[in-house]
Amino acid sequence: MRKDLVFGMAGSGGDGIVSAGDSLLQAASAEGYHGVMTKSFGSQIRGGESSCRVRISTDPVLNPGGNLDVAVALNWEDFLKFGAELPVAGTTVVIYEAATGVPENQIPLVGVTPLQVIAVPIAEMAKTHAGTERAKNTVVLGLIAGWFGIGAVAVMKGISKKLAKKSQELVAANQKAFDAGMAFAKEHPLKADMTILPLEDKGGVKLLTDGNDMCAAAAIFAGCQFFGGYPITPSTEIMQFFTNHVWKYGGAVLQAEDEIAGIGAAVGASFAGKKAMTATSGPGLSLKSEMMGLASIAELPLVIVDVQRGGPSTGLPTKTEQSDLFAAAFSAHGDVIRPVLAPTSVADTFRTTIEAFNIAEYYQTPVIILSDQEIASRKETLDPIDTTQFKIIDRLRPTGADLQDYKRFKQTENHISPISHPGMLGGTYLASGIEHVESGAPTNSGSVHARMNDKRTKKFDPLKERRDLFEITGNPDAPLALVAWGSVAGVCREALQMAREQGLDVKLMVPYLLYPVAEQTYRDFFASVQKGLVVEQSHLAQTFKVLRMHLDLPKGLQSLARSGANPFLPGEIVAALHHLLAELQRSHEGKLQPQE
Amino acid sequence: MSATMTPNVNTPGDFQAKDYKSDLKPIWCPGCGDYSVVQGIYRALAAIGRPPHEIAFISGIGCSSRIPGYTTAYGFNTVHGRALPIAQGIKLANPDLLVLAAGGDGDGFSIGGGHIAHLIRRNIDITYIVMDNQIYGLTKGQLSPTSQKGRTTCTSPHGSLENPVNPLLYVLAYGAGFVAQASPTDLVGMAAIIEEAIRYPGFAFVNIQSPCVTYGEEAQQIKGLKAISETLESLGHDPSDRLAAMNLAQNYGTKLNLGVFYRNPEPAPTYDGLVRERQAQLSQGAPSKERILDLFIKK
Ligand SMILES: Cc1ncc(C[n+]2csc(CCOP(=O)(O)OP(=O)(O)O)c2C)c(N)n1
Ligand code: SF4
Repeated sequence: MRKDLVFGMAGSGGDGIVSAGDSLLQAASAEGYHGVMTKSFGSQIRGGESSCRVRISTDPVLNPGGNLDVAVALNWEDFLKFGAELPVAGTTVVIYEAATGVPENQIPLVGVTPLQVIAVPIAEMAKTHAGTERAKNTVVLGLIAGWFGIGAVAVMKGISKKLAKKSQELVAANQKAFDAGMAFAKEHPLKADMTILPLEDKGGVKLLTDGNDMCAAAAIFAGCQFFGGYPITPSTEIMQFFTNHVWKYGGAVLQAEDEIAGIGAAVGASFAGKKAMTATSGPGLSLKSEMMGLASIAELPLVIVDVQRGGPSTGLPTKTEQSDLFAAAFSAHGDVIRPVLAPTSVADTFRTTIEAFNIAEYYQTPVIILSDQEIASRKETLDPIDTTQFKIIDRLRPTGADLQDYKRFKQTENHISPISHPGMLGGTYLASGIEHVESGAPTNSGSVHARMNDKRTKKFDPLKERRDLFEITGNPDAPLALVAWGSVAGVCREALQMAREQGLDVKLMVPYLLYPVAEQTYRDFFASVQKGLVVEQSHLAQTFKVLRMHLDLPKGLQSLARSGANPFLPGEIVAALHHLLAELQRSHEGKLQPQE
Repeated sequence: MSATMTPNVNTPGDFQAKDYKSDLKPIWCPGCGDYSVVQGIYRALAAIGRPPHEIAFISGIGCSSRIPGYTTAYGFNTVHGRALPIAQGIKLANPDLLVLAAGGDGDGFSIGGGHIAHLIRRNIDITYIVMDNQIYGLTKGQLSPTSQKGRTTCTSPHGSLENPVNPLLYVLAYGAGFVAQASPTDLVGMAAIIEEAIRYPGFAFVNIQSPCVTYGEEAQQIKGLKAISETLESLGHDPSDRLAAMNLAQNYGTKLNLGVFYRNPEPAPTYDGLVRERQAQLSQGAPSKERILDLFIKK
């Protein structure tokens, strides 16, 4: 029996692969398992290839997993389009549509011999038992229930609930398709036992959602009352969630005519005294940069979500990458600091989003949340979140005394000035992108500009001291280290576990605050480090370079960076750590000097 | 909404034009038409009587866009071409505010030209005043989208090859509910038009021929404007007739027709008003926002 199973499925647009994955994860979570599901598409809307990866486990899971335990190919051509996103290995059971006619010994998986390969007449079974090929995905779910022990009851419960509104006949047809799949599995046993361990403790109620919905829900929880945006994959669901729910809490949404107007409206709402947000992906972030500069100099709170996809330009619109760090941190003219935060999972998108609002409000600044396609669109089961532990921060408003002789940009000890808003008697001022004196009046003075630059950058000093925005696991004095953020952090957490089980003395740093770079926190982390890896999905190794720009890195720290969208595998990171350890040992023996 | 707000209460007489004049000294060129536009705005605001702190005055970038700083309202001098998106965010965040937007012809019809259509389409209750000097003033005299064809400027030394935008036709065609034109040659009339625009419940547009004495052509200076001025009233124009308004708007560039081109006799619902209705409707029986994660519970 297994504690953990990773399924990868691919087919054509109409095959219902993603909805099968959805049903599988929902069924597993109803049965008390933990799970994660990611989906991946070609960039066409319908009719193209689509895939999903579902990982189900008895324990909480940190990432979508490495090599597949189970590969389901409804169509070989489509399956192979996902290449390294759905890696088949010697431990994989491959299930494929018999009608695709590939002889067992010629499965086109270059260089691997799977554990077992089973041809199933999936389409034919669907037709025979349910009367339509459209039930192929239900047959697949039946096969999975039969072979792997997930969803024997819950799948059909879920399907019935979904279809009951349509027709009872459809439910019955699907039941037949499902049973046929189960029966086929019973008649064709696997070579190895691959059933999942039954759960003793069903784990109670779980949440099941994806990163985009979680982000929007967290924003509303944090008090966000305005969203302005323009649709772009893979961020659009954030706006959709707002249009569904924010009105209930006195808020409003604007689907603007473009990204500039979307963020502009959010800047306006913030000026008017409300918490505001916008969300986009790479190309939209580029358009928003002038407004982000405006919000910085006008010292207006604002949260901007950038759900990264592959770039540059329209790049890989439906796939993940971590290559917008430079843009998030630096796309502005003039000297300005803009905090950048990144969640590592659906679960901590909640915390990270609240943190982004708190930082935006406290420091009166735009803040970027760098999410990524994988976190944004993957579904996770998660334990209920104790929302009472979150503190919500509001901007510092002027009190009666401040309003006597109100100066909007008053120089204070911590560089943060009380901020009024239209409607507040005594608080009128001129906000501007033009340099201004403390009252807000425009100025051309170089010395005032220097002082104001100082105010606008120094105010972030305390932010860099916050250790709670960094997660460090493993032995704090370890000589080996990993650094990773965003969705890659989940893979590294698992790699850390594996490496430690294999006796490596290694630690991991996951920054939630990417910018400004918290120099001292990194220095402390790197103090014991002789060899290490900064792991990221960016061809230019943007994270590694941003760190190097701000501090002296240990000589043995290397970059493990590559383009999206193919995910890193925990095993590959562990192998790289072994390699580093060997180098370290050699250099200690004096045979190899550390690289200069 | 702040406790200090007095929405929709008109208290003419409580405020005088000087109450809207800030301490900032305008840095326009002596004789610039914008001096008179700001006077017209002070008068209009005094006639309406909303206290300055309940007014948000938004502009883009250009000589004309400096105008919010010269009033005692909450001002926001934003980035080039983007006054309207920001103004609408303010109005949607707090519909109780009186929201004014202003800027130049370059700001409004070139870089920001795409936004007007959408503000009009949404019908957000904002008054937009364009100081149309048919030139880029702040950047020192380049061709503007309203410059006449053939005009020589520093970026069209051999004469412009482009046809100008007609701001009046542009907004009429998109369906604006209130469209008017004013001139600094008639301060009293200008103030009355601005006042009427502000009172109009919905998007209102006022084009003001505001002479640039530094880079402007002679024909666009006060003397020239007087020569081509003619009031719509004197022409017997019926401002509820949109087609007639569009016909008269064709005079742009040759005549300076002053007055209200179009005023929708039955103003359409505004986006900001509809937002309020939706909020009221959907908030009934909504779970508290502390329970928002309940949406994700799978049983
Ligand atoms: C994005 C951007 N592009 C260009 C400019 C430079 N710029 C400032 S004002 C202006 C044009 C001003 O003309 P107009 O809007 O007609 O106003 P006026 O100065 O004539 O009142 C330009 C091009 C800028 N500030 N920002
Ligand atoms: S350049 Fe023209 S528009 Fe600008 S302030 Fe001078 S006169 Fe007015």
